[in-house]
Amino acid sequence: MSEKLRSSTGITGGLFGSETPTFLTTKVDFVVNWARRNSLWPMPFGTACCAIEMMASAASNQDLARFGMERMAFSPRQADVLICAGRVPYKLAPVLRRIWDQMPQPKWCVSMGACASSGGVFDVYSMVQGIDTIIPVDVYVPGCPPRPEGLIYGLMMIQEKIRGESLARHAEHRFEDPDQAGHPQADEKEVRALSGPFGNSTRQDRTSGLITEVGCRPSDQVIP
Amino acid sequence: MSQTGKSNAADLSVEVHPSVQALHDWFGVAIIRDEIVAGDEHVVYVDASRITEVLGWLKEVPEHLYDYLSDITAVDYGGGRPIQVVYQLFSISHRRSLRVKAELPLSALEIDSAVPLWASANWLEREVYDMFGISFKGHPDLRRILMPENYAEGYPLRKDFPLRGRFTRAEQTQRALSQEPEDYYIPADFECGRKPQLVQWQETGGEPEPDGDPSDH
Repeated sequence: MSEKLRSSTGITGGLFGSETPTFLTTKVDFVVNWARRNSLWPMPFGTACCAIEMMASAASNQDLARFGMERMAFSPRQADVLICAGRVPYKLAPVLRRIWDQMPQPKWCVSMGACASSGGVFDVYSMVQGIDTIIPVDVYVPGCPPRPEGLIYGLMMIQEKIRGESLARHAEHRFEDPDQAGHPQADEKEVRALSGPFGNSTRQDRTSGLITEVGCRPSDQVIP
Repeated sequence: MSQTGKSNAADLSVEVHPSVQALHDWFGVAIIRDEIVAGDEHVVYVDASRITEVLGWLKEVPEHLYDYLSDITAVDYGGGRPIQVVYQLFSISHRRSLRVKAELPLSALEIDSAVPLWASANWLEREVYDMFGISFKGHPDLRRILMPENYAEGYPLRKDFPLRGRFTRAEQTQRALSQEPEDYYIPADFECGRKPQLVQWQETGGEPEPDGDPSDH
């Protein structure tokens, strides 16, 4: 894996490429990670009631800015962390994917609430069953909707994650296959594997519907 | 009605709808039947082939004047029964509402468009087309409005449509991501200062629009 990454990114050994940390790299890591985790600008992708809680967590009572999320960046090009708050229908999936592609590295993603994380109660024809089939997700915040404290805790977990990152393994953290941009993050096999034992509909196959042919009717009884 | 203890005058106002009686007198057999649902909601079933005639009459005649189209929707009761197209009308000047229904057999899901009467019918009919697959003859821009343009699983609000769609979730995800968000719009939607499409039908009857060059806008 790391060999492939190194060859694809052009980083071969050297000061930051070596995977064994040195005094210099750990000190640089410390400074860089400190700066990054204390100036996370969220890109709010609020589509439903979770967005209200997200707004509440940015408002004066909870005040997300205390933790370095100084302002909501409504341009993905100036954002560090994507907060997907709310349900995402299939029609919105390419929009979400494009916003993620437009965000510059390094970037993180919070899936806020049950709908964004798993589809929630919306196990229907129009709804994405978890945004991790569209984009990579770092932190899932459960709840329907989560309280502002929950979202803040999720963002602090992102900060913890950043604290452990190292420039030496930069390519590994940030690797994205350019061919996969605009495609599902999970392939079909993985999407199937995501379906839980509780009967999540990602396991659905073509035969699970009432009928298979488009346009024909079921032969149920006509009620007079 | 008398069990509710209301006065006779109140009962009369509920049971007699002036437009329903007038429709029977004017159109005869084109009005198939009428009923009262939910206490005081008058419903008129109209021959689908004469729907624009009836709706236009209801809109224009001064005694009725249903100038506000609240909603167009459809109902599929399943079991092979016809799909009902529902027009919810309201007369602002007379403070009266009327529900007009037209039944379409599943073999011929086609009805005349109401866009020439009410411009607000445009998106409502697109939604009915999107969800039920009913095509509206004469609609200026009949295409899907809620589902993606490349949606190929059928019409979601039909009774025979499985809740989770016909494709696998992986297939649905890949289809959704394979489209460009710009596909939802026609190129003319992006043009600034474009003359709205819907104005055209109004102008055909009035004075002709001078053919100015586009830079006038």
